[in-house]
Amino acid sequence: MPAPREAAGRGSSDVVVAEHVTKSWGTTSVLRDVTCAIGHGVTGLLGANGAGKTTLLGMVLGLHRPDGGRLTVLGGDPWSAGPEVRVRLGYAPEYDALPPDVGASDVVRHIAELHGLPRREATGRASDALWEVGLGEERFRPVGTMSTGQRQRVKLAQAIVHDPALVLLDEPTNGLDPAQREDMLELIRHVGHDLGMNVILSSHLLEEVEQVSDAVVILDDGVVVAGGSMDELRGGGEELVVELDGGVDASSELVDRLAAEGVAASATGSTVIIALERPIVMDLVRDVLAEHGYGIRRLQPRVTSLEDVYLGASRTPVETP
Amino acid sequence: MTSDAHAHTLRPAGAAGEVAPEGAARILETGYRSYSGQRLGPRHAVWTLARHTFERIMGLRRPARYKVLPIATFGIAYLPAITFIGITALLPAGRRFDFIPDPGGYFPFVTAALVLFASLAAPEALCPDKRSRFVGIYLASPLTRTTYLLAKAAAVAAAVLLVTFGPPLLLLVGRALQNAGPRGFGAFMATFAQTVVAGVALSVMFTCLSLVIPSLTDRRAFASAGSILLLVGTGAISGILAFGLRLGDGWTLLALNRLPFELVERIFDRRGLPTPSHHPLPTWSVLLTSLVLTVVAGLVTWRQVSRTEVSR
Repeated sequence: MPAPREAAGRGSSDVVVAEHVTKSWGTTSVLRDVTCAIGHGVTGLLGANGAGKTTLLGMVLGLHRPDGGRLTVLGGDPWSAGPEVRVRLGYAPEYDALPPDVGASDVVRHIAELHGLPRREATGRASDALWEVGLGEERFRPVGTMSTGQRQRVKLAQAIVHDPALVLLDEPTNGLDPAQREDMLELIRHVGHDLGMNVILSSHLLEEVEQVSDAVVILDDGVVVAGGSMDELRGGGEELVVELDGGVDASSELVDRLAAEGVAASATGSTVIIALERPIVMDLVRDVLAEHGYGIRRLQPRVTSLEDVYLGASRTPVETP
Repeated sequence: MTSDAHAHTLRPAGAAGEVAPEGAARILETGYRSYSGQRLGPRHAVWTLARHTFERIMGLRRPARYKVLPIATFGIAYLPAITFIGITALLPAGRRFDFIPDPGGYFPFVTAALVLFASLAAPEALCPDKRSRFVGIYLASPLTRTTYLLAKAAAVAAAVLLVTFGPPLLLLVGRALQNAGPRGFGAFMATFAQTVVAGVALSVMFTCLSLVIPSLTDRRAFASAGSILLLVGTGAISGILAFGLRLGDGWTLLALNRLPFELVERIFDRRGLPTPSHHPLPTWSVLLTSLVLTVVAGLVTWRQVSRTEVSR
């Protein structure tokens, strides 16, 4: 598996670093004190519609100037050194943005040339990129005659054709049916993991971010409410769910008793959720339950999902497909 | 390296009767690979976009229906020049007809072709990108809004230059070859320089003027109609004001389909186009008006393009 590209120039391990970035459109504050670091691999940029994801991507591309704070992309400032930064970026916008009367191969070759590839290399790589996204046989068809799924693939092909260090994908599964969405997510995983490009996947769909991302930045109403690798966000991941027979009193009593043993737990109604931080926690829980004779309705291990993380951090609901 | 040695090096083992050494065969992986070759930098993006737009305007790499208009325009622009050269060649030596123009007098023959072509080329350059929103992908490339517009304008100007410079040049060379052109090398070069300057000036002016309307809309048909209306309509209004109502010669400067040719008259040291008072307009007023209108048109277009929304 190819190694992810290093952020050129500075030896930094992060491809995007935002420090206290703010942005407003008129009187509407879109990004507020955004601070995050996006490293190698596939990173999900998750948030509800209007959370500021597309604005942040626009700033990464150097299309908008931050009102405050500092943004570094691949070691450079995307606003002041836009062309030099963008030459190493690939971008697939959220909206349908391809000329309908031009063949897919011509579009992709043209984008490769715009990013500095000589014409001959651009022609060859356009063909390779379209084969890679599954459009080898269809590559000479005008884009306007293609289905939504095929057009999304052309957008992905034009974003990767010049072998960029960082690929920005804005809602790449928009308009796709479930099967097409699965295929697209598999392609994105392939781009990020097998082809070794760093990918930022902007999406409002929890499940697809969780499915392909190595790390996540969660935006809520212009504020970063959580960020980090999936493992970090899940905090080790595993929990034990215990539903008791004795109602609310019993569950709060159990939480206190576990706390006395040094075990972190929280109660919601008659359910107690216990973090399985250490292997011995399971034994401690068993002993406390047996010693005090709690009636148990349900005892179930559970892996913390991104949805749990999101719901814990955000006030705005996001969609699940 | 001799050609034989070269051929030997490139020939795959086992071809042409040779036997490949054991273990020399290998399977080449095809498909997408990382790219470590030459990268030509942001300037290449400007050149690429200009070339791509020029090809699009000329209908190159596109179905035949897109080539009809450029060919028809060039026909209108070049045919008189070819006809004049033919007539010059057929005339007996020493006899010339006065109606055969020199390069400076040829520009009125390309007026219709120029107005038509500029009004169709500029919308073709700007409108489809906005309508398909492909401009967003362009601006996410090494192009900036300014270099994007420069590349587009350069493509339109190059296409228009084929109409403004090509036919007068053809006439100049044709007449010179028939010994009916400027006498002497110095005179030829002076006329050639005037033809170049006039062609470039016309091209720049028509490019700037014809890009204004397309920068305001994403509909090609509206943009073309609007551009023709702007160029021809100002001519009609100015004609009414200057020639009909006799409000003064200065009103003729507002005719956008006339002003560039008034400038050409000055470049070729000619008297100028007819005015209601039969007195030529002052050269400074022609130069100043041309400059101001070209700059204003360029600024309006730049402002519109710089406000293009990509992501928000």
